[in-house]
Amino acid sequence: MKNLRFRYEMQLQFDAPVKDHHFTLKCMPKSNERQTIRNMTELVHPSHSISRAEDSFGNLCIYGYTDEPHTLFEVVVEGEAVTGRAAWETAEDDCHLGRYRYATVYTKPGDKLKEYYQQHLAGSGTGTDLERSIALMHDLYRDFSYVQGVTTVNTTAEEALAGGRGVCQDYAHIMIALCRMAGIPARYVVGMLIGEGQSHAWVEIYDDGRWYGLDPTNDLIVDDQHIRISVGRDCYDCRINQGSFRGIPVCQTQTIRVFVEEMEEIKW
Amino acid sequence: MGFISITQVDELFWLGRYSERVYTTIRLFSKRYDIMLEQDSTYGEFCSMLEIPNIYTSAEDFKYRYAFDQENPDSIFSNLMRAYDNAIVLREEIGSETLSYIQLAIYEMNKAASSRAPMIEMQKVIDNILAFWGIADDSIDSEDSRNIIKIGKRVERIDLYARLKMPQAEMKREVDRLTGRIDRCSLHYRKEVLLRLNELVLEPQPDHHAIVHEIEQIVE
Amino acid sequence: MYEQDLYEHADVINELLARYGVKFGIYKNNVFKEQLFPFDAIPRIIPGDEFAELEKGLKQRVTALNLFLKDIYGKKQIVRDKVVPEEFVYASSGYLTECEGVTPVKDIYSHISGIDLVQAKNGEWYVLEDNLRVPSGASYPMIARKLCRRSSPDTFRNVRLEDNRNYAELLRRTMDHVNVGGHTVILTPGRYNAAYFEHSYLAECTGAHLVNGSELIVENDKLYYLDSNGNKERVGAVYRRISDEYLDPMTFNPESVIGISHIFDVYRKGNVALLNAPGNGIADDKGIYYFVPKMVEYYLNEEPILHNAPTYLPFYENDMKYVLEHFDQLVLKDVAEAGGYGVVFGSSMTKEQKESFIALLKAEPRRFIAQEVIDFKDLDIMDEGKRVPRKADLRAFVLMADEPLVWKSGLTRFSRNPESFIVNSSQGGGFKDTWVLSR
Repeated sequence: MKNLRFRYEMQLQFDAPVKDHHFTLKCMPKSNERQTIRNMTELVHPSHSISRAEDSFGNLCIYGYTDEPHTLFEVVVEGEAVTGRAAWETAEDDCHLGRYRYATVYTKPGDKLKEYYQQHLAGSGTGTDLERSIALMHDLYRDFSYVQGVTTVNTTAEEALAGGRGVCQDYAHIMIALCRMAGIPARYVVGMLIGEGQSHAWVEIYDDGRWYGLDPTNDLIVDDQHIRISVGRDCYDCRINQGSFRGIPVCQTQTIRVFVEEMEEIKW
Repeated sequence: MGFISITQVDELFWLGRYSERVYTTIRLFSKRYDIMLEQDSTYGEFCSMLEIPNIYTSAEDFKYRYAFDQENPDSIFSNLMRAYDNAIVLREEIGSETLSYIQLAIYEMNKAASSRAPMIEMQKVIDNILAFWGIADDSIDSEDSRNIIKIGKRVERIDLYARLKMPQAEMKREVDRLTGRIDRCSLHYRKEVLLRLNELVLEPQPDHHAIVHEIEQIVE
Repeated sequence: MYEQDLYEHADVINELLARYGVKFGIYKNNVFKEQLFPFDAIPRIIPGDEFAELEKGLKQRVTALNLFLKDIYGKKQIVRDKVVPEEFVYASSGYLTECEGVTPVKDIYSHISGIDLVQAKNGEWYVLEDNLRVPSGASYPMIARKLCRRSSPDTFRNVRLEDNRNYAELLRRTMDHVNVGGHTVILTPGRYNAAYFEHSYLAECTGAHLVNGSELIVENDKLYYLDSNGNKERVGAVYRRISDEYLDPMTFNPESVIGISHIFDVYRKGNVALLNAPGNGIADDKGIYYFVPKMVEYYLNEEPILHNAPTYLPFYENDMKYVLEHFDQLVLKDVAEAGGYGVVFGSSMTKEQKESFIALLKAEPRRFIAQEVIDFKDLDIMDEGKRVPRKADLRAFVLMADEPLVWKSGLTRFSRNPESFIVNSSQGGGFKDTWVLSR
């Protein structure tokens, strides 16, 4: 278990003023069996109408609207988290897992994934789904290289695997695609990691009524260093910011900064 | 329902304007068509009177393309189609019955385009526009909507009459009619422009150019 | 007798239809064109008793489909009980994960359903397709009846039939039933939509306001209509004629410019009713179609009154075997396609086509269904002064208000091409009025 303090910042910079800006943000962690979130505050600027909801995955959303012309849109979420309270999360009923079993746009297998699947998973019938997934994670960690800038937010698992290099999103998509091919329900996770300067992505796989977190980018079984923000079928369900606005900006730049640090033990 | 959106106000206004434009230009064209039976070359005069570009290569070309060519933005048919574009999106506001007269005008216009005596069918276009105004006035529930169409019609008429350099008495009558109605609907207009228009038409020799300039910017 | 009278007046009726702009839009080489929807004056006539049976079957079917939708986006018992295989739900493009756990007002998903039926030569009716997203077409027979009565008064003086001009009342009742407070509006993608005539005509006849996405705005979890003075009028029900995908750029296609940002969030909170509910596509998926009679048994514990056309799912091994053995007598449909596209007849393929199709079928068995070709009962149409038989279907409309309501009429579409089995209007057919005789 760890006591963590987190701060999540997102800035959207427009090179010309925009107005009638509608936004939906999914960047707030929520308490569950594994993590407790407390003292969380959110600041969204500018905004004149803010609402809250949970999406169909139970992720926290804030959404709203501002008609004030602006060139900078800013979100700051701060709070404390107790992580590693459990090694897994109790899963929903089996009949609700269907959405994590089938390919999505980002995880649809092509020849490369099929080939990789044949080499690494097809024969690994022994062991639990968790064990098979962990073995797969090790393989993927070895075979795939972490390189920034070679893939984009729109790169699919198939494309990333073919290129052999990518970032956390690509690791997660490839792993999800392969697990689903093996009949193991798998889902995408967005969150924060100690010591990282950006948001992070990893996966959760299902085994016998439980969801386990696996971080293929770091070859880690998720324990108490990760704070989960959202889950979904792939990165599309977990997009942090969805917006529409009027105006003629040629270019918008999104900057995300994440700070997660351990808090000192609370003294008696 | 008693409320209309900004887009609908705009559509009603332009429906009024284009229906008037079709009506008045057919009447002018009809006179010119008659004159041209003897004096072929007078269409240039017609163009400069209406302040539209003279793109026509011959009298025949003018008679066809000014009246019927939908590729020509100044043609009567193009203006009728613009009236239709605004009417078709207002079916639930003005009613199918009202809308049908614009539709009928288009069918007649098509017949005129292939007729050897186009003024006969053009008269039916005029009949349908008049019927459209009549039923619009009679059957549109919302007074606001009725008034916006009429304002559009008045604005267009002032614009056309000023281009045609109509005498002061006529100009004043049209501006008076506009002034009497414009406050009775939810159209947002520029009060200072209306004041200047009212001053301009008091001159015994009105500055027609200035009137065109003002009327074009009366609506916000 | 009356048929004679009607088709003697066919030209008058078509002239009236033209006068009132009874058209549908079509894109040809990317240019938008409005076309008159050709009307054939010989009505389809359904005896009162026969329709009463159809009516029972339609109510039953749509009730089951609604329960299915509620189940799929809720407890999923039909999946747990393995009546419907999981992959037919989750691999379907009609399933929208965003709708999980969202309950529409009064649990109604399919407020307006268009059920496509055909009649076989032996008189038996078969359901060909359920349309639960944005089925269109009711406005055409509705206005055609009005104009036929005007042009052939003698006919209607002599025949006793159900009045179908009440569709607007049924629709109004359906919309009012779920309105959560505020105005009722019909949301159109705009005049360049194929069914724009219908959108505007239904708005006129129901007294609902016809709106574009840009005229609505969400604020503080409520939906408002913006009037010309900047006032916000609360909207309680939206009969939306735009597809799920374009409804809300914040939740669905972010490129949509015809939708309304955050309308889905308002809907999720129960602050507005959407007709039909988003996510309905899962129930009218061509693969799911196979299971509809099973839904009737599963949810209602009743024998299905209406039958599907005999259908095979190559997904099941036995069915695949049957399909391969009887390939030439079957029609194959791609479950992802609509509007008469993606439909091929085994008998019309060349040897090469057949081989490559079978390879595809084996690679993606879930993607196709196969159906026996029904021996249609043709309907006569007038073609250049002669009566000629043509293929025709019937789209029946079922509205779900405080109770299921079946409109005592329907849209009968026919194919103009005598060889064609496809009667979709986007492929150049015409329509007829559908008479239900009084009992």
